[in-house]
Amino acid sequence: MEEILKLENLRKTFKISRKQQRINRTSDTVKVAVDNLSFTAYRGEIFGLLGPNGAGKTTTLRMLATLIKPDGGNAYISGHSIISEEAEVRKNIGFLTSELKLEDFFTPNYLFDFFSELYDMEKSVRDARKRELFTKFGIDRFAEVKLANLSTGMKQKVSLVISIVHDPEFIIFDEPTNGLDVLTAKVVTDFLEELKAQGKTIILSTHIFSLVEKLCDRVGIIVDGRLIALDTLENITKENSLENTFFDLYDKTCGEKL
Amino acid sequence: MRNVWTIIKKEFSRFFKDKRMVFTVILPGLMIFLVYSLMGTVMENVGKTDEDYKFTAYVTEMPENLAAAFGNGFELKEYSDAEAAKADVEAGNLDLAIFFPENFGQTLSGDVKIFYNSSKDNSNNGFITVSGLLNSLINPPFTINAADGVKFDLAGEKEWTGKMLATFMPMLMFALLASGCVAVAPEAIAGEKERGTMATMLITPIKRWQLALGKILSLACFALLSGLSSFIGVILSLPKLMGGAIDGEVATFYSAGDYFMVLGLIISVVLVIISAFSIMSTFAKSVKEAGTLISPIMIIVILLGVFAMFGSSTSTWLYVIPLMGSGLAMSAIMTFTITPLAFVLAIASNFVLAALLITAISFMFKSEKIMFNR
Repeated sequence: MEEILKLENLRKTFKISRKQQRINRTSDTVKVAVDNLSFTAYRGEIFGLLGPNGAGKTTTLRMLATLIKPDGGNAYISGHSIISEEAEVRKNIGFLTSELKLEDFFTPNYLFDFFSELYDMEKSVRDARKRELFTKFGIDRFAEVKLANLSTGMKQKVSLVISIVHDPEFIIFDEPTNGLDVLTAKVVTDFLEELKAQGKTIILSTHIFSLVEKLCDRVGIIVDGRLIALDTLENITKENSLENTFFDLYDKTCGEKL
Repeated sequence: MRNVWTIIKKEFSRFFKDKRMVFTVILPGLMIFLVYSLMGTVMENVGKTDEDYKFTAYVTEMPENLAAAFGNGFELKEYSDAEAAKADVEAGNLDLAIFFPENFGQTLSGDVKIFYNSSKDNSNNGFITVSGLLNSLINPPFTINAADGVKFDLAGEKEWTGKMLATFMPMLMFALLASGCVAVAPEAIAGEKERGTMATMLITPIKRWQLALGKILSLACFALLSGLSSFIGVILSLPKLMGGAIDGEVATFYSAGDYFMVLGLIISVVLVIISAFSIMSTFAKSVKEAGTLISPIMIIVILLGVFAMFGSSTSTWLYVIPLMGSGLAMSAIMTFTITPLAFVLAIASNFVLAALLITAISFMFKSEKIMFNR
């Protein structure tokens, strides 16, 4: 199996303010958000990153997308280091997260063209891809409507389409179905399966168990910035449901009964 | 360079398709024109009396040889006694109460008493008119500059106008360009950071310097447009504001070369100002904070303009100081004393500083602390 993503002891810390130190009753000046994270994702799989809020999922994904730099360790996407080969990494990934917004003054059509230019795409390829994706997600009927005037679901579909304008091999989806109704959420999950069928590698970060059970090939469970379990979905759910396995692991790690 | 162009195109569509944004360009010019024209008109009329106005006056012992002179512009009133007339002057109902000494017409000596009310324009102007009239009665045995058709003030109109323009053009240039920049800089970078649209561009393969350069070049264009609109407003209202001291003929004093130099200076100055403001805008966490951070720089920029108003520099090396050199160069162009070296130094120093600032912005775009810390 071809390794597409490889994390090697990835680590990220944030400074804690004096006031926050007092609240936390600690003298630590830094909080470790991601603690020596290592795992690998292979071509054509959907890798689920499961964890509670504040576990370090989004921080990990932001490092992979080269938005922020790790304090230690490294990660490679298609063999390119996220630290020293940022430009190559950016060409090869798509990143969908609620944090990255689109200027709502513009129309889907304009935004698609704008981002495809930044990815240096040929005009003919761009137009064919735009037609295909806009039709698939029903954006074609709203292609010339300003984003500000679109529904939440339609905006999310546009964000999804824009994030994969350049047909990347490796795609990061951070809570892709958050805030969507069941119909739109299904369109999105169906599309993830389609991408997988095309041989794309996907990292899916979520705290929704059913989404992981439905889509993922392998799962990494992350708590407090550390990977506490990493296996195929099949193995992880062999003895118990994913939800119960997660709670058991969480109890063991944090020593608290939920 | 293609990415830079892509960013410029995007900024232009953002700006020109938004009616409100375009309005920020046109509005300052329009406001300046209206306010300055109004100010000029008001200033022109303040303290003036209508030409066909007749001053009202109470006069005692009117000399016969003066009666004709008083006949035209004055309306003589009768009062029962002097005190009643003075009381009316005080109340503003009568412009003047004039008391001539006896036989003034023959002797032209003694003390003429003119009671007036300086708080009333008409009364005040009446006093000036009568004083002038009386003074003209005495013919001194000599004349000054009596010859017709001789130009006694030897200052050329060109030099005089140039000197006047030199005092306010640098200040005007800095103030108008800075106000143009302040209208666009906070929104374009801090606004994009705040809305989360900047990060979306940062994960694409575009290089940070390309993003910075694309932004700066388009913002410079908007600021130039806004500055130009204000400039047109000033120029159109100038004849009214200066009471006709400056008119269209001024434009012909300067050669095409002068205009090119002014244009070059303006472009280089706007690049420096917009880059400096953009640094603050990149640093700020919100549009509001960007506005606050930009204000001190705005004041420095305008002060540099004020400095150039007073300083006519003898040292060419002062032109090396960015912005300040441009103020001096602008003054020198206006007074026709610019040297090629001074011009090149002034303009080059701006371009160098702008390039450094744009590089700094590129580095700031790379810093997660600046771009993502809230």
